[in-house]
Amino acid sequence: MADNEKSGLLAMLRRPSAKYSLLSLLVVGFFSGIFFWGGFNTAMEATNTLEFCIGCHEMRDNVYVEYKKTIHYANRTGVRAVCSDCHVPKDWTHKMIRKIQASKELWGKMTGIIDTPEKFAAHRLQMAESEWARMKGNDSRECRNCHSFDAMDVEKQKLRGSKMHKIGVAEKKTCIDCHKGIAHTKPKGMKEDEEE
Amino acid sequence: MSKSIVQIAVAGVLLALGTQAAIAAPDWSKVPKRDIQVFHPGVTAMEWIVKKSDHSGTAGLRKGESCVGCHEEKGNLNFNMKRMADKELEPKAAPKTMNFPVSVQAASDAANLYIRLSFKAPAGGADKGDKDNEVKATLLFGDAKVPQGAQVGCWATCHTDARTMPGADEKKTKYTKEGAYELIQWASKGNKVSDGSVTTERKMSGGSTGAKVEGGKSGDGYTLTFTRKNPGEGKTVPFGFAIHADHASGRFHHVSMGYTLGIGADGDIKVTKQ
Repeated sequence: MADNEKSGLLAMLRRPSAKYSLLSLLVVGFFSGIFFWGGFNTAMEATNTLEFCIGCHEMRDNVYVEYKKTIHYANRTGVRAVCSDCHVPKDWTHKMIRKIQASKELWGKMTGIIDTPEKFAAHRLQMAESEWARMKGNDSRECRNCHSFDAMDVEKQKLRGSKMHKIGVAEKKTCIDCHKGIAHTKPKGMKEDEEE
Repeated sequence: MSKSIVQIAVAGVLLALGTQAAIAAPDWSKVPKRDIQVFHPGVTAMEWIVKKSDHSGTAGLRKGESCVGCHEEKGNLNFNMKRMADKELEPKAAPKTMNFPVSVQAASDAANLYIRLSFKAPAGGADKGDKDNEVKATLLFGDAKVPQGAQVGCWATCHTDARTMPGADEKKTKYTKEGAYELIQWASKGNKVSDGSVTTERKMSGGSTGAKVEGGKSGDGYTLTFTRKNPGEGKTVPFGFAIHADHASGRFHHVSMGYTLGIGADGDIKVTKQ
């Protein structure tokens, strides 16, 4: 009885409802959950669009211009891979981790770390190495959302691709081992991989 | 009197040599032709070829693959010629024709190896550094000591610090780090033939191939027959060639990838014995 007489937000939340039935609370809670969860994911997906990514001039004037000249932007089959297809994991857990990591880019935006072409060029190697390390570390997971050695018929490829992919399979290589700089300009001064 | 005797003697010797050459010349109608594409390589020197961040095919080279093994496809080259002509790989200016075919025939007898090149040299060059010669054709034959010689052809002689490369010493010629190439060059002005070599530097004389070149421009094309001493039956010899078209000099040539000549042996180009 003494607890019921206490006031405050916490006490109110803990107090059993005398007015609403359990069913009403469950129904309201259920639909509210869908609403908020859906809203959260919609907002999350909005940050995965090409338009969102090039909303900042840092991306629009640099890497986007380079990407537009590549096969991942325009090709004979009409399939396009946008920024998030390569740079954001598809599954929820890894996506959340990546989004939280990416939140530090807001600080970069505020401090203007890459807000001129010169500053972007100066940081290109560091940014590229960071992304290459992420891709190497997860066995090029985002590439493999669309591509895989299993689904690849190397005999239908051009000779050089065919021969290199056979070596890649034999040596258990991952996509990013060879396919650096396929969507953006390679940075100057990139380190050579150690030969195995 | 003595002067006319000398003249007759000289004429006789020339006639004898000419007859011998006529007898020795292969019957080219019985020698298969192979069309090989030559291309403008820009600044893709040996250092570029073996640098993985520039050329992902280095993994293939390490496995023993040759340039031809990956890049010659259906009688053509599968390079991205736009990339080859772009500023990064050709900082000065690319020729209008990035690649063209050269018809190659190879024959031998006990004494000599004969190589015939037929091609139309394109105009529209980006560099006209050789005022004297409209066209030059150069053959290189690598020895067994050249590392990856049978895989990379002339590239073992082509380096970023050699003349006409960006920022390079204009007196430094092509060179090898190990091994040697025999060099034979035909230049259009006066049909000059150079019999030289490439080792620590390129020498345009002092070679031991006994090189002779016959032919020249006929119609709108060139047909050149190179004759050199037979390197030996049963040998597979690394071989590559270059055409300097439209007064080009230095690296502004069109080059073939590296092929092997099979002289009574296996090779990319089997030499027809006559």
